Amino acid sequence: MPAVLEKNIKSWLLEVIKPQEFNEKNLKSSGILFEAVVAQNQIRDVAKEFLSQGYFLESLTAVDFAECFEVVYHFNHWDSTKRSCVKILVPKDLPAAPSISSIYKSANWFEREIFEFFGITFVDHPNLKRLLLPESSQIFPLLKSFKGEPAGGDVLQSLKLIEEDRQGFEITYPRSISRHKEDYYLNLGPQHPSTHGVLRVLLHLSGERVLDAEPVIGYSHRHHEKMMEIQTYLACWPNFGRLDYVGAMSYNMGYAILIEKAMGLEPPPRVEYIRVLTTELNRIASHLLWMGTFLLDLGAFTPFFYCFDDREKILDMLEMVTGERLTYDYFRFGGLDKDIPADMIPAVKKFIPEFKKRLRDYDKLITKNIIFKHRTRGIGVLTKETAIAYGVTGPSLRASGIPLDLRRQEPYSIYKELDFEIPTRQEGDVFARFSVRVREMEESLKIVAQVIDKMPAGKITLGKLPKNVPKGETYSAVEAARGSFGIYLVSDGSLNPYRMKLRTPSFSNLNALIDVLPGCLVSDVVAILGSIDIVLPEIDR
Amino acid sequence: MNSKHKTRNSKHVFCHLNLVICHYFVICALSFVIKTMLSNPILQEALRIILYGTLVVLFISVNALFLVWMERRVSARIQLRRGPIHVGWQGLLQTAADAIKLLSKELVLPKDVDKFLYVLAPVLVFAPILSAFIVLPLGPHIIIRDLNVGFLFVFSLTNISFIGIFIAGWSSNNKYALLGSMRAVAQNISYEIPLLLSTMGVVIAAQSLKMSDLVSAQSKNWFIVTQPVAFLIFLCASLAEANRAPFDIPEAESELVAGFHTEYSGMRFALFFLGEYTAIFVSSAIAATLFLGGWRGPFMAGPFWLLLKIYGLVLVIMWIRWTFPRLRSDQLMNFAWKVLIPFAIVNVFVTALVITLQKYFA
Amino acid sequence: MEINENPLNTQSPAPGFVNLFRVEDVFNLARANSLWPLTFGLACCAIELMAGGAARFDMDRFGFGVFRPSPRQADLMIVAGTISRKMVPCIKTLYDQMPSPKYVIALGGCATAGGPFKFPGQYGILEGIDKIIPVNVYVPGCPPRPEALIAGIMALQKQIKSGKTQGVMTPAVVHDSQDNHPAEYKNAISRVEFRQPKAGPPQAEKPPTPTPTAPTPENKG
Repeated sequence: MPAVLEKNIKSWLLEVIKPQEFNEKNLKSSGILFEAVVAQNQIRDVAKEFLSQGYFLESLTAVDFAECFEVVYHFNHWDSTKRSCVKILVPKDLPAAPSISSIYKSANWFEREIFEFFGITFVDHPNLKRLLLPESSQIFPLLKSFKGEPAGGDVLQSLKLIEEDRQGFEITYPRSISRHKEDYYLNLGPQHPSTHGVLRVLLHLSGERVLDAEPVIGYSHRHHEKMMEIQTYLACWPNFGRLDYVGAMSYNMGYAILIEKAMGLEPPPRVEYIRVLTTELNRIASHLLWMGTFLLDLGAFTPFFYCFDDREKILDMLEMVTGERLTYDYFRFGGLDKDIPADMIPAVKKFIPEFKKRLRDYDKLITKNIIFKHRTRGIGVLTKETAIAYGVTGPSLRASGIPLDLRRQEPYSIYKELDFEIPTRQEGDVFARFSVRVREMEESLKIVAQVIDKMPAGKITLGKLPKNVPKGETYSAVEAARGSFGIYLVSDGSLNPYRMKLRTPSFSNLNALIDVLPGCLVSDVVAILGSIDIVLPEIDR
Repeated sequence: MNSKHKTRNSKHVFCHLNLVICHYFVICALSFVIKTMLSNPILQEALRIILYGTLVVLFISVNALFLVWMERRVSARIQLRRGPIHVGWQGLLQTAADAIKLLSKELVLPKDVDKFLYVLAPVLVFAPILSAFIVLPLGPHIIIRDLNVGFLFVFSLTNISFIGIFIAGWSSNNKYALLGSMRAVAQNISYEIPLLLSTMGVVIAAQSLKMSDLVSAQSKNWFIVTQPVAFLIFLCASLAEANRAPFDIPEAESELVAGFHTEYSGMRFALFFLGEYTAIFVSSAIAATLFLGGWRGPFMAGPFWLLLKIYGLVLVIMWIRWTFPRLRSDQLMNFAWKVLIPFAIVNVFVTALVITLQKYFA
Repeated sequence: MEINENPLNTQSPAPGFVNLFRVEDVFNLARANSLWPLTFGLACCAIELMAGGAARFDMDRFGFGVFRPSPRQADLMIVAGTISRKMVPCIKTLYDQMPSPKYVIALGGCATAGGPFKFPGQYGILEGIDKIIPVNVYVPGCPPRPEALIAGIMALQKQIKSGKTQGVMTPAVVHDSQDNHPAEYKNAISRVEFRQPKAGPPQAEKPPTPTPTAPTPENKG
């Protein structure tokens, strides 16, 4: 069945669209099945066909070449990995392209981001405004012709923004019209007691009921992608630790696998086992932090402390290995920074039964609590269609009934040899997302137990490697704690990446809230925001 | 030199003598005034009011300090940590430090607030709660004023504090504050009914509204034994009246910044805080008097047992706060109207039936 | 002639029996022991701030564990995380809304001076919060451990008790070692050249910087 579908989209492209360029690619080494360059007026039909065949838009970005821009669309199927790349060329003298946001809702934010970073206008986009940078900003940072701002520019712009704010520079998003004069706008954030980071959600309310919601992001934009273009590959490691600081090991894994794919490296087996051990421990720590803060949002103050206590035990173990508590950069290309110390495995063995008991306590105190059930059952239902339209991945998708986990679907490292389940639920409400993550913690614990039993001895590096990645394009994705983290690398063979697009899961997951929030109460907004599990710096990059 | 010294000395002596004579006259005048006052009943009453008022205010201040410390230590114990232990012995001076700091803060008056209402609101929230101490029986004949309407007096006055909350939210000119105060008003109105209905059972059993009668009626059995449902309803309703978790949606931190007291700083905020803890104390005091036998105890009946019961209930209230998540506002209303009120009404009917049957057949 | 310079015969402070404090000293002592931070986390350092308030490190022991969500009720702003320029007006508004006396702690490298996100020509962040609001204590680290944060707050407590709480601001342009290493922004490459097929296996690609030993045997690892 999958082979037939694959033939369908490829043959449809070749027969009907007749792309300008078409290349078959190796999924293992480049991450995509094929790439096709089509004309601008054909991209809408292509997108419609992909949507009708059940593909979701995984990533949409642009690359700045000397003659033209390349707008790159990555489509993937939730059933199995059939990642395909479609490109259109946008001339520099008329930087405009058709928008596919009416077909794929997730393209809305992707296209806004391309507009603000490259200056490419998307025709028929409903709301082509800046997404991550301030509205009054005039620069297009990811253009190769943008050589940075002079020193002191940060204070100048900050003072200008403060002045604009004083004058009442009000941003309004009138997507829904006020029906009666008692409707009002309420700002949730960016300074928010619920500990998600600097997210701003503009709510259009009627009483306590939400008519419309618009997340405003960009308050944590730290220009990772521009930084990476002027840094060497090795110097990019700390960036990945700080993208999703709570689950940084998965991001380390993503980058390591990307470069190993691009350079054709195979790490030694011990490296793979240690990588999986630390990644899964980090996944548990990330879910624990999420659980604590989610319950804090709901008003239960105590589980926060218990979750953090368990998390500290995991951080102790990871600190034994890496020396860091939070923003790890432990992996290297084809290896690791250092080997695990002798007392780590006994510590892990001691931790596993303690944590199992704690999970049972959480089940008794939280999952079976009647107030918790009332606050979470039936709230914030994310349907399958909405999830696919916005490209939602991770536990939020698995709670809506789609069992997509990249560790199973597109296995990397040693996940093929490990025995674990993918927890899935059908309801798609807040409770489903909660229980999927709790079950995922149990599964990660299972993986950790298997890994420490099977850990082989051996070396942990591949020795000296070339400092540059060969010319080419690679896409690689891993299953981070929040969803599928993908990196699209365009390398020109030099010491620095030419373009590194980070496809972060929270970006798409938050985007989906636009369709989930209308109709619920203000208290539910907080519960739903918490259940999606977002980390702002990975959205804003 | 000697003469100058002598002059200075004599000047001093004369000054001292003058002071002593003045003091003597002042003391004589004062004692005459006090004697006349004490013989006049009206002035006697006035003195008594001043004395009791001062004692109550002093007690409340110290009590609030103690309760805040207790809350922080109890919550810490439940949350696997220590809580304030360094400021003073076992951290007892922590709340005093908080209070002094709040006193010394800049009193901010935000630009567009309704000045008169903004300043009035904290006072309106805090002051009526003091009325409970007037009718609280501390011992067999120790009560400031044994009103014949007893605790009804307390509940009717504490409603004014919710007008205070509403005024606080309205005058702050802030959407979060307004949302918080709207929720608080809806919550209060809903929970006032089960609060009073649950106590009706006790009143019917004791055949009186006077607080001292209610305590004497518990000589055989405490009312918690004969009216357990009423006790639970009273506890839930008083948690909601005091805006305590799980009913603390008006000051829901994670949703509404700080609810109705978002725009309040310094001493005004301290008054809200004080009001909340005093409300907990008052609710526990009334619950202890109505359901747990008041000042009754196995030996040496008096204020000691009352305080023990009150602080026990306060501990339970704090325990509940740190255990449960928050209820959403519509779920809160549902709980009041669809669960508490029907049970309270049924309780009243059953009590009335039992009492009538007892009288008929006894 | 005896000149009595002290006619009222007072001693300050009177030894032993009565110790006279100034009111300001009492206030400073109270302020130091009762710092209420504002819940304000921007990025990674916020997690260490939360860990500092959690059970293992427990900032509440010392009195600064009452996190207030409203700036009107807080007196300590712990700027934890990178400050992006879009966020600056919010920070300034929050700082202005706090009543005096108020203090600022810059937690982490980013709030101190831009941290790892400072590179020549950066366009997105503010290099240190002390460029727009005065800072009392800097806690370096990326992220600093919760113990470092507690040490930072204790340093602030010492400052408050001594009465010298004037914050520090830095000028807009600070010259540091980054001036000697300007960032190399590259130009766009030609797409046509980029799409030409590679000339051989990837491992044979020689790195531009010459290595003293032959690359091929070492690459095989």
